Amino acid sequence: MKHKSPAVRLLLLVLIGAVLIIGSGYVDQLRSYQGAQAAIFAIAISSIVLLTGYSGQISLGHGALMAVGGYAAVLCQTHLHIPYPFAFLVGTFAGGVAGFLLGIAAARLRGPYLAGTTLALAVGLPSLANQFHILGGEQGLLFDVGNPPASLGSDFTQYRWFFVVTVIAAILVFWLLRNLLSTRYGRRWRALRANPTAAALSGIKVGKAKVLAFTLSSCVAGLAGSLFAMLLGLVAPLAFTLTLSFTLVTGAVLAGVSNLGGSIVGAVVLVAIPELSNTAAAHFGGSDKVTANLPGVITSVLLIATVLFVPNGPKLPRMKFLARTRQ
Amino acid sequence: MQIFFNTILVGLSSGAIYALISLALVLVWRSTRVVNFAAAGQAILSTYIGYEAMTRMHNYWLSLPVAILAGALISALVEAIIMRPLAKRTKGTPVESIAPVIATLGVLGGIRSLAGLIWGNTFLQYTSPLSSKGYMVGHTTIPFSPQNAAIVVGAAVVLLLFAALFKFTRLGLALRAASFQPEISRLSGVRVDRVRTIGWAFAGAAGAVAGALVTPTTYLSPNSLDLLLVSGFVAAVIGGLESLIGAVVGGIVLGVGFAFILQYIGTSVTFSAAFIILLIVLLIRPQGIFGKGSSREA
Repeated sequence: MKHKSPAVRLLLLVLIGAVLIIGSGYVDQLRSYQGAQAAIFAIAISSIVLLTGYSGQISLGHGALMAVGGYAAVLCQTHLHIPYPFAFLVGTFAGGVAGFLLGIAAARLRGPYLAGTTLALAVGLPSLANQFHILGGEQGLLFDVGNPPASLGSDFTQYRWFFVVTVIAAILVFWLLRNLLSTRYGRRWRALRANPTAAALSGIKVGKAKVLAFTLSSCVAGLAGSLFAMLLGLVAPLAFTLTLSFTLVTGAVLAGVSNLGGSIVGAVVLVAIPELSNTAAAHFGGSDKVTANLPGVITSVLLIATVLFVPNGPKLPRMKFLARTRQ
Repeated sequence: MQIFFNTILVGLSSGAIYALISLALVLVWRSTRVVNFAAAGQAILSTYIGYEAMTRMHNYWLSLPVAILAGALISALVEAIIMRPLAKRTKGTPVESIAPVIATLGVLGGIRSLAGLIWGNTFLQYTSPLSSKGYMVGHTTIPFSPQNAAIVVGAAVVLLLFAALFKFTRLGLALRAASFQPEISRLSGVRVDRVRTIGWAFAGAAGAVAGALVTPTTYLSPNSLDLLLVSGFVAAVIGGLESLIGAVVGGIVLGVGFAFILQYIGTSVTFSAAFIILLIVLLIRPQGIFGKGSSREA
């Protein structure tokens, strides 16, 4: 496979982004909202792909790291009055700091132990908001990024603006990650995942590489969290539940866990399943019980079927410019 | 001083529940080297089945064995239909240690949604004839009710039964052998696959006891047992993930610890405390209090 240069990759991603952003002018607010949701999920899932698909570590706690990013962004914007694009940077950084600390512990744990520890984090961290007054308790804190720039015209809706912001963020994240994964760091992580012992014997500092992967992955999760806070307009413990963490892992697995381009597919699937199942439930006259729970049943069955039949991830038609390099 | 003893009593009762869930995790870990994140899901489904039995038979005590049998059956099915084929397919691949985690999460999510689909996401009452009002000591009510007593007794009975099973029966020996040396056990005529499924079934039964005993003190909803999964896991890790006694001691220690945190600090830090306890145990004494092995490289 021929290597695309970073500049070519960026150009292709920007083209796709431009098509999406122009296209968003032709859909209603709900679709814009769902588009923004999918872009945020794609970013968050790519953080799991980086962690699990490349460095071989698992995390059920990325919802909590998203919460760290979201709360950091909101607190900065509210108390320091910085412009919100910088709040996203703060969210990214805060996620990274939390991830670095967690990563130091995580590098010493494997498989199920790491899963259980991060699970405890996913449950414990968001509930801390009730303990400290500054975090706003169960109601959370509002995050108001204001109206879209006036230069875009008065009929440019709020959700379309969110969509534009999240798509730009997603493009940046994918471009940076894609480039990062084709450097020696990416190769080290792949070696680590394939066989930690052999990687160590080849002179790779296993602990260091794992902590680095965890930190970067958490940066991306922190960014996704602050974007999520923007989309919801608030941060609250209920926004970053255990279910969110599970959803991200599900998305990564459905997408083929070591396929970066797959995170986009995974994100779209996650957003599409509730939509499709609602349509189906409405069509067949399902009750509230069905509407609320059918998406969960479908996602879980898909998840189990994926690990059972294609444990290394489904063979999606690869988006060539995002595909991983041949090993 | 009164508050101190009350806190211990509260801790003892919740600790007994943690111990049962932790026991369920340990039994599965011993038989297949998998941490069963679906344990909470299996327990909730068996509790719903117990609830159905109770609404039909109008008797809590008769619904208990129904729930326990259902729990054992569900757990055995999960092992035989999903986990066993998965282990065979992923053996030796890079996803070997991650795939079971994902699969059990899928089962957890699937069972929760399925329960919601059948029974709705409302809070149901699975009531026990025992009072949930605390005993009177002198003129004060202590926060320890007859139902709490039933929880502690139930957990103790389950533990004694398992201890007897592992110590005195051929099945117990086979269970121990299959987890210790699967290849050699197979050569000596133990049907390892079947024994593993039985291990899962016992784990499901332990989880079902926890669900059916704790639910009368709270309410029944598709995710009402989720938090127990975290406590159960922490308890199991404190106990070393291998040892039955360890699981129970871990559960009680955690239950009493939580009760003190709840009493003297506040509710919202409990699970952060669980996370910190877990990290400390894993980093300082990774083999747990009762673990024998020196490494956690599983």
